[in-house]
Amino acid sequence: MDSVTMDPVKQMEKASQGSPNHAAGKGVIESPEIKRGGFLKNIFTGMISLAKGMKVTFHYFSHPSTVVTQQYPENRDTLKMFDRFRAHLTMAHDEKGQHKCSGCQICQKACPNASISVVNRSNPVTGKKELDRYVWRMDSCTFCNMCVQVCPFGTLKMENQFESSVYDRRLLVYTLNRYAGPTAQVLGKLESDEERTKQMEPRDPYSGPTPMNGQAMAGVAALGEKKGEGESK
Amino acid sequence: MNTWEVTTLAERSAEALSSSFWGAAGYLGLAMLGMAGFVAVLGMVLIYAERKVAGHFQCRLGPMRVGWHGTLQTVADTVKLLLKEDIVPYQADKMLHILAPLLMFIGTILVLLVLPFSPIVQVADVNIGVVYITAVSGFSVLGILLGGWSSNNKWSLIGAMRAGAQIISYEVSATLALLVVVLFSGSLQLSEIVRSQAEGWWIWRAHGVGIVAFLIFFIASTAEINRTPFDMPEGESELTAGFHTEYSGLRFAFFFLAEFINMFLVAALTSTLFLGGWMPFHIGGFENFNALMDLIPAGLWFTGKTAFLVFVLMWFRWSFPRLRVDQLMRLEWKILLPIGLVNLFVAAVVVLYGLYFFPVR
Ligand code: SF4
Ligand code: SF4
Repeated sequence: MDSVTMDPVKQMEKASQGSPNHAAGKGVIESPEIKRGGFLKNIFTGMISLAKGMKVTFHYFSHPSTVVTQQYPENRDTLKMFDRFRAHLTMAHDEKGQHKCSGCQICQKACPNASISVVNRSNPVTGKKELDRYVWRMDSCTFCNMCVQVCPFGTLKMENQFESSVYDRRLLVYTLNRYAGPTAQVLGKLESDEERTKQMEPRDPYSGPTPMNGQAMAGVAALGEKKGEGESK
Repeated sequence: MNTWEVTTLAERSAEALSSSFWGAAGYLGLAMLGMAGFVAVLGMVLIYAERKVAGHFQCRLGPMRVGWHGTLQTVADTVKLLLKEDIVPYQADKMLHILAPLLMFIGTILVLLVLPFSPIVQVADVNIGVVYITAVSGFSVLGILLGGWSSNNKWSLIGAMRAGAQIISYEVSATLALLVVVLFSGSLQLSEIVRSQAEGWWIWRAHGVGIVAFLIFFIASTAEINRTPFDMPEGESELTAGFHTEYSGLRFAFFFLAEFINMFLVAALTSTLFLGGWMPFHIGGFENFNALMDLIPAGLWFTGKTAFLVFVLMWFRWSFPRLRVDQLMRLEWKILLPIGLVNLFVAAVVVLYGLYFFPVR
């Protein structure tokens, strides 16, 4: 199409596109409503997109099943927590009560808040290094899940149990392992169950070296008095 | 056919004055008490409704604890607000600071006076009702401006100035849209406008001009009462709380209440002008159908229409993002105002040359 048969408006547009004046106008906010034919189109597309938005919100309004709010204390019995919810670090123990923690302290180094301290000892019989206490400070934990991810043996996991409020913050320091002794793998090589139990010295959640020191507190049930009792769950 | 006689409280009071002074005073007292009670209860109901509706729009439940499904939540909140310490900032203009919420509230109450709730419930029927409403609703912006000015706080001042610019701009469009209805009904009196819709509501009886005017009026009045998506004067993400940043306790409660009553007023006015107010749903000529519709009391029609529009306002608020200030001005001066002017012109031509498809009167 040559320029003679073009209508004047298109000609002007074509001319202005090539002109340096147009390039100088760059950076000016383009408003569609001042373009030819853009005015009504702008209004209609605007209204349609607003209507789309209103449709979405009305869908939520008219479908009460989309509500995610939990009426917590009332529905405590039927409350279902989500798998990914992170509330309480725990050390997995198998049905024989044995864990897989070797005391390698990788998790301790990975923790950004120094919430973990892994205390090791030498086995009184074999003299090999083993886990004595796995101390986790819930009061400084941010539940970032780093410790769970770095553990090479998959020992740690996050539990859903979130009702952890206490009246004394010393009660937020937990010993996670239930016995001091070798890992499940090492224990499995032993001959008899008797020998196994001999090497597993019980540990209580509140008997750790930090702050509770195995003492009872006024007004709080003496959780750490007897070893092996008063577990948190 | 029903003639829809309108009697107002003011008329009854004037009638009673001829026989006894105390009867007249009784009517006036009744009107005042009724208004005060109505405003307080309506404010609480609207705030509760807003929170519930907002909750469900956002996959939440809203208030659930105080009373059955949180119904007493607003009562508790009101009591809390009344008991709170009232802080006036250091070096604030004390008198204006105290005056501002009252001014905003006065504007709201004055509009409420002429609102036709039903043929028998209306405090006063001013014969220039439409002009009166546009005039006195300016009080609320005065309140906002004074509140922002006197607070001695930059956020308040910016919020107040934004409110001023916004209301001045949008009042033009709102009035232009309102004039369309005035043209068609041929009256400035609100009860007369309602009665002129006995054959059908203006929103569709005015040949498409009505629906454009309705949209413009609704958008412009939403902007006038500073509701989202036009809540730049408050804009909590930019201005803390805008013009009422420095208000607390009872005076904040006044601002808050006025805001919610204003929302009701916009819905009520829109329904009065465009959706027939208390006039039942009528189709001109279908006598039996109209008689059936008349069985539902007029007050109920008004409440239903207003409640629907209030819901739409809430729907807007919880769906749309806030506009930028320049977008706001563009919307008014480049879009609403030209359309409003053209619309008014078309309406004038239709009325002048009687280009009606069906008889209007
Ligand atoms: S979850 Fe994060 S903060 Fe908590 S103990 Fe593990 S690594 Fe430390
Ligand atoms: S929990 Fe895992 S990472 Fe941490 S010390 Fe034990 S084995 Fe090592």
